[in-house]
Amino acid sequence: MASLKRSAISDPFASNISSKVYVRSTKSGKVQKIVREVYLRQDIPCSSQLCQACLKTAPRNAAGELTPFVLSDRPAGTKTYPQGHYLVPDTNAFLSAMDLFEQSSAFYDVIVLQIVLEEVRNRSLPLYNRLVGLTKSEDKRFYVFFNEFRLETYVNRDQGETVNDRNDRAVRKAVKWYGEHLAQTKTKKGEAPAVVMLSNDRDNLRKAKAEGIPASSLADYVGQLKDGDKLLDMIPDAQDRDVVRDKKSNEHLYPEYLSLSKLMTGVKAGLLHQGIFNVSPYNYLEGSIRVPAFPKALLILGRENINRAVDGDIVVVEVLPKDQWKEPSTKVLEEDALTKNENADTEEGQDFITEKERKALQEEAKRTLQKTTEGHAQPTARVVGIIKRNWRQYVGHIDQSTVSQAGKQGRKQDTVFLIPMDKKIPKIRLRTRQVAELLGKRILVTIDAWDRDSRHPAGHLVRSLGELETKAAETEALLLEYDVQYRPFPKTVLDCLPKEGHDWKVPASTDDPGWRDRADLRDLLICSIDPIGCQDIDDALHARPLPNGNFEVGVHIADVSHFVKPNNAMDMEASIRGTTVYLVDKRIDMLPMLLGTDLCSLKPYVERYAFSVIWEMNAHADIVGARFTKSVIKSREAFSYEQAQLRIDDASQQDDLTNSIRTLLMLSKKLKQKRMDAGALSLSSPEVKIQMESETSDPIDVKTKQLLDTNSLVEEFMLLANISVAGKIYEAFPQTAILRRHAAPSKTNFDELSNQLKVKRGMELNVESSRALADSLDRCVDPKEPFFNTLVRIMATRCMMSAEYFCSGTQSEDEFRHYGLASEIYTHFTSPIRRYADLVAHRQLAAAIGYEAVDPSVRSRGRLEAVCKNINVRHRNAQLAGRASIEYYVGQALRGRPAGNEEAFIIKIFSNGFVVLVPRFGIEGLIRLRDLAEPEPAAEFDPETYTLVTSGSRQVKVDLFQKVVVKVSDEKNELTGKRGVKMELVSP
Amino acid sequence: MPLDTSAYNLALLRVDGRRWNELRRLNAQIRTQAAADGSSYLEMGHTKVMCVVTGPNEGGPKRGGGSGPGAGGGNRDSKDAQVEVSVVVAGFSSVDRKRRGRGDKRILELQSTISSALSASLHTHLFPHSTITISLNVLSQDGSLLAALINAATLACVDAGIPMTDYIAACTAGSTSTYAANDENADPLLDLNHQEEQELPSLTVATLGNSDRIAVLVCESRVQVSRLEGMLAVGVDGCKQVRTILDNVVRERGKRMLMEGAVEKGAAVGMDLD
Ligand SMILES: [Zn+2]
Repeated sequence: MASLKRSAISDPFASNISSKVYVRSTKSGKVQKIVREVYLRQDIPCSSQLCQACLKTAPRNAAGELTPFVLSDRPAGTKTYPQGHYLVPDTNAFLSAMDLFEQSSAFYDVIVLQIVLEEVRNRSLPLYNRLVGLTKSEDKRFYVFFNEFRLETYVNRDQGETVNDRNDRAVRKAVKWYGEHLAQTKTKKGEAPAVVMLSNDRDNLRKAKAEGIPASSLADYVGQLKDGDKLLDMIPDAQDRDVVRDKKSNEHLYPEYLSLSKLMTGVKAGLLHQGIFNVSPYNYLEGSIRVPAFPKALLILGRENINRAVDGDIVVVEVLPKDQWKEPSTKVLEEDALTKNENADTEEGQDFITEKERKALQEEAKRTLQKTTEGHAQPTARVVGIIKRNWRQYVGHIDQSTVSQAGKQGRKQDTVFLIPMDKKIPKIRLRTRQVAELLGKRILVTIDAWDRDSRHPAGHLVRSLGELETKAAETEALLLEYDVQYRPFPKTVLDCLPKEGHDWKVPASTDDPGWRDRADLRDLLICSIDPIGCQDIDDALHARPLPNGNFEVGVHIADVSHFVKPNNAMDMEASIRGTTVYLVDKRIDMLPMLLGTDLCSLKPYVERYAFSVIWEMNAHADIVGARFTKSVIKSREAFSYEQAQLRIDDASQQDDLTNSIRTLLMLSKKLKQKRMDAGALSLSSPEVKIQMESETSDPIDVKTKQLLDTNSLVEEFMLLANISVAGKIYEAFPQTAILRRHAAPSKTNFDELSNQLKVKRGMELNVESSRALADSLDRCVDPKEPFFNTLVRIMATRCMMSAEYFCSGTQSEDEFRHYGLASEIYTHFTSPIRRYADLVAHRQLAAAIGYEAVDPSVRSRGRLEAVCKNINVRHRNAQLAGRASIEYYVGQALRGRPAGNEEAFIIKIFSNGFVVLVPRFGIEGLIRLRDLAEPEPAAEFDPETYTLVTSGSRQVKVDLFQKVVVKVSDEKNELTGKRGVKMELVSP
Repeated sequence: MPLDTSAYNLALLRVDGRRWNELRRLNAQIRTQAAADGSSYLEMGHTKVMCVVTGPNEGGPKRGGGSGPGAGGGNRDSKDAQVEVSVVVAGFSSVDRKRRGRGDKRILELQSTISSALSASLHTHLFPHSTITISLNVLSQDGSLLAALINAATLACVDAGIPMTDYIAACTAGSTSTYAANDENADPLLDLNHQEEQELPSLTVATLGNSDRIAVLVCESRVQVSRLEGMLAVGVDGCKQVRTILDNVVRERGKRMLMEGAVEKGAAVGMDLD
């Protein structure tokens, strides 16, 4: 019985156990020492298809399946490694050039070491996710090798060795092991493939050379590839890890950031404040940050105080002493105008602040000095540290003026500026060898770093999207800029669709399981009312009188949850997309076409599954009872708003269907009145419609959208359905119902607008409650100017918070309120084809009425919170993308037209210009003093009365809210290659 | 921070480098305290516990405290011996140094579970009107605490020479993906450490000896029923591995005692030693 000694000798782990000890600090500032076991083993395969030895010990999962080996048995060769090679990038390589690895032209057979994966994860979660995505893609052949668990490749940290050095050593050891391991395999060609370390860290490369390990810098490696030239732009230069530039070490342009621990203690003690940095849309040198400790946003003025923060970063600021507090600028500062002559190449030699910037700032300072006594100064702060960069990929174009002649012609490396589409993002310095090809193109770049001694952030090219102003390039630019997932649905998603495809039908036999617990509503006169040409019909309605004199009203919503089951690939994709995005000429669907426009769409004349909310209402539109049921319906007609309106207005139409729409209209008006009485706001944003030429789909004209009674009919019943469903799912799942809330705006948001109204028009804006606000908005009427009320509403809308999805357990019940709709509780239920939130609400409602079991994903609070967080962002991005798309097409429509005079209203005044809104196009434009006349007229700005009086070359007086006439035309700035709408003041 | 449990599918490796069906290192000793009737020390990975058994003693426990089904009081009238279990969790045993009092509900539950598990194997009917006191000390926690406590208690009872049907061997089982992920193809996992217990669904199972008879089954996390069977199967299999290890500990100790002459030769009748 040899097994008696097992515990001492044959313990399989005896010599192979190591411990990992590390220290972590918690949120509350405690320091914890974590000890973890590490089991070292020898059965972690190299995953090369050349290797037979590893195949024998390769792991199997619980089902006994073997994971196929990843790395090709015939990897590609290069000049240096003609026998073929596998790549082992270090952490730095992935962090600085992830785009490169995603190329389809090169970078196959890559070994991702566990230590590298861990480091990437700690440094950047988005990059980690992209890397994991790569390892899952079959054609790229990325293999994760768990070097930290393999006995031969595990390294202990030496005394006095830094973690980084230890990890670099682990990478080199793994590369060495791989090389020796593969050398033992016999290939048919004779020589085993080389295993090459890729790094951008000079120190690491040097040590590898010394140890005889094949290694290459990214640039050297890419240089050997076939189309290497193009890829070269995508990599930053090799760096020393601790970037210390010896020259002018004490002449940094920007102040140094405080250490993380200093920041944390400062924030904890209330001396520093953390928040999200926002840049003013009118002034690139002015930012603001909202922090809990101050009711009003803190102001951050000037390059030095902004200290390399980019819009969206999470930063820590320090409030300046009170004597340095400033007023928000009353001046428009546009980066391209002020810094247009900067040279991207020789920036080291230049002054930190350009002469023009300095002048602008001095004028500002003078003005504030005069005024500070009057107490308008706001708490002002400076950025002392960055908690988290929110850098993404940016779309823009190259500033032609920064391109050298040599760059335009040859393939010499040139440094140029990229002007991002998003005005809040600073110019990005870019080094490229293909300036000639990139000029006049929309390009995608990322920011790599922003050093203390560099005025602008440095970035690198990701790829070119195509010619500027071509529809394809501009559309893709928009989608990228707003992070819209626009790639076609992958096969795994399409596999989730019903096999019958377009032939799918509601089963004829009511015994079919599809009919289980479904109400048969096929005999009801149901119809849908949508915009013209709507294909994804989410909702349909019906109304009929009941014998007791009341009405039965039904809202029927496409039963998407029948087709999209929780947690399958289609559901995952939809939850990531979050919403369908509508651009002027394009729709990016959340769900595949087959569902969105056919099987789920409540098309007329065919039977469809639906989820119905059915109320009994009396003639005053009071709800007597409500029920929810899955159903089968058959819509009788799909109307457009216009058609439905015509039918209602035509008294000769007396059929049942038309009469039921009339009933709906009658009830909807009462519902609306009730809502208004409760204090619902009627807000406004300029809505325009682009008219397209039907053949070429080129925009030809812009029209403001008309609102008909039937629009509001549909809206009222959708609101009612959403409110009813919200109540029901909250009752069933008090902790996990998915709801939508709209927080009351803080009063300070309205300070400026109410002061403006008071000074200019003697009107009061009461923001006590939504009711009071609604009433006071109603009173803001100018009898001579019907648009004035809309104008005020547009401006009020901008002072509001945005509504958001949330999970009911995360907020206290009085926070549920929807301020704008004046409803105690609200959710989204009526558009499951195009919004993911609605789909979740459908699942919860189905569980609440006992139709199906509760799926864990709609009960897990953590999961729901993540879903809400994502769809809130997606929702907002979709809106912004839609708006940007309209703006682009308005510009295009203007291009074809002769410049015309349009009515406009002044909505903002600066000391050197003003902003006008053109209602007809729904666009805003900035008119600067220098646009008024040549030479630039002098001007007197009175911030108390919001007036600007110019003198000299042109004499005009402009007032806030004033109606003016402007000439709107399309203009291309030849210098920067940027096209925009140009506005000229015609009168006064 | 190292990777989390979601990386399992990349190479079928768990956060500490084990495969799905591997136990952690399990070390144990018995007769660690000469003065006690029975004692043991057991490590499952970094979970470390100590156990001391006193009894069976006639009469009730000398002091109050402890717990177990039907615990309170003298038990002089009871036909079977009572198994009193007390668990003390040292403040330094976990990362956050939270002190747990004696009245802590979780500890009461641990005590009660261990007591009923051991009662099922110990021949308590041989010792009427008496009490067996089991004191457990948790020195370090890294997951699978209940399983480690049961194993340590079994060993200490063996050491104390209390007749029993067979070993009660325990271990934990889990699943590689979370409840919300609802992954049908998740692998079951054996012997979870603390990190896995935090992130994944898990259960504790104890079986009687080599049989499939389950003495303890505790599951406090949500998991799909479809995954439960696989988890249970792996857990029961793990219990058998644990039993073998525990058995070896006992035999090793027995052999040493024979060699050192602590037991008279011939007393070990039926012990098959070579
Ligand atoms: Zn191998």
